Amino acid sequence: MKSRQTQTEHASPLLLVILVAVSLAITTVYHREGQDGPLRTVRRGVLAVAAPIAKGGDILTSPFRAVAEWFGGLSVDRAEYEQMRQQNNLLRQSVAELEEARQENERLRGLVGFAEARKLESLGARIIGRPTTPWEGAVTIDRGSEDGLKVGMPVLAEEGLLGQVVQVSSRSARVRLITDQRSGVAAIVQRTRVSGVVRGSLSGDLTLDFVDKKLTPRKGDVVLTSGMGGIYPKGLFVGEVMEVESRASDLFPKVKVRSRVPFARLEEVLVLTGAPPVIESGAGE
Amino acid sequence: MRRAAPIVVAILVAATLQVALAPHMAIAGVVPNVLLLVVLTLALTQGPVAGTAAGFAAGLTLDMLGTSVIGAYALVLAVVGYAVGLFHSQIFAEGWLLPVTAVFVGGLAAEFLYGLVLAVLGAGGPFWTALVRVMLPGAVYNTALALLVYPWLARFLRRERPMTTFRRLA
Repeated sequence: MKSRQTQTEHASPLLLVILVAVSLAITTVYHREGQDGPLRTVRRGVLAVAAPIAKGGDILTSPFRAVAEWFGGLSVDRAEYEQMRQQNNLLRQSVAELEEARQENERLRGLVGFAEARKLESLGARIIGRPTTPWEGAVTIDRGSEDGLKVGMPVLAEEGLLGQVVQVSSRSARVRLITDQRSGVAAIVQRTRVSGVVRGSLSGDLTLDFVDKKLTPRKGDVVLTSGMGGIYPKGLFVGEVMEVESRASDLFPKVKVRSRVPFARLEEVLVLTGAPPVIESGAGE
Repeated sequence: MRRAAPIVVAILVAATLQVALAPHMAIAGVVPNVLLLVVLTLALTQGPVAGTAAGFAAGLTLDMLGTSVIGAYALVLAVVGYAVGLFHSQIFAEGWLLPVTAVFVGGLAAEFLYGLVLAVLGAGGPFWTALVRVMLPGAVYNTALALLVYPWLARFLRRERPMTTFRRLA
């Protein structure tokens, strides 16, 4: 037993070296292959398998989330209402279902109105998966290539720009949020028309970079997409300037932007199918 | 083959939980890493070979589930699985303090190395932001989770020398 263990531990660095080499080879292939390369094809397959699982998780955890929200909103002693709660259990359930349908209807109306006002061709989608690691800001939606989705299409929420489609399988797609550290959105400040790039970060904060120092924005200025680069249509609401810091030694002012989109609680989104699906550098994963 | 079956099952179940459950357990954007817990537990209970192989498989699964560079997590978890596995013969697996400490250090090392790999590949963020927002909270969250699941996971994964008790934890 001892000799077997010793033998195993002596052999282990070889396996490690082999697997490290394989990992590096995989990373190299990933960087060199195109959108239809083998690794991205496998990833699309994984997305197709993972999407129903994510959806199942979303459905299974929704009562717990609702209960947590309910408890969070309590301000009176629950014990007094215990008897009433039992009597009204069935009624409460049906009211909750109706309320859910009403709220969903309202949100969808808002989304459709938002797109119609801008004459944008769009497709509604439901968020079925959230980020699986803290390193990335991406959500899974229940629309895919069968619905006409393509990599590069912009995605909106009622409150403004949400992100961009970066992976598409037949019935689901992954959307990289604008708060992701790899995201970059060409933008302008509405008041001054000065252009810049809205970038995400690991902390989820947005910054407006490369803004002309002579036209430094003010707190409360509205930031819109500029339409430059052909990814996002011009004039979509991105956020508002929250904080500005401009020092003499800095080449560009530091501008923090706040999005109105409730990224963590969002349930429905709109994919702009009419927008040209141009793939920016790094957009396709 | 019989030895590998629980490992494969554990990784598949962990991957399912990572997709279905972990995103809904996020606290301030920090998602627990169930696959990492399986790799570290396996490395501690079965040694560096199992740790390396499971780390590579679990890492590749995490890579495929995300939108970032494929191969980065596979590389990192293989290295961390091997490194933690080296303590296999020195750590009393039935105890809880040393394994949980190893999970904290191993988890922190995994997130740190992943951040480093992303930085090298040009996809990383500022170090202090990553340390404060992702690495440390992630390591603490995973360690808290390890306190709950390690005894049962270790018992499931170490079949050839069954663990009889985790009294110290209880």
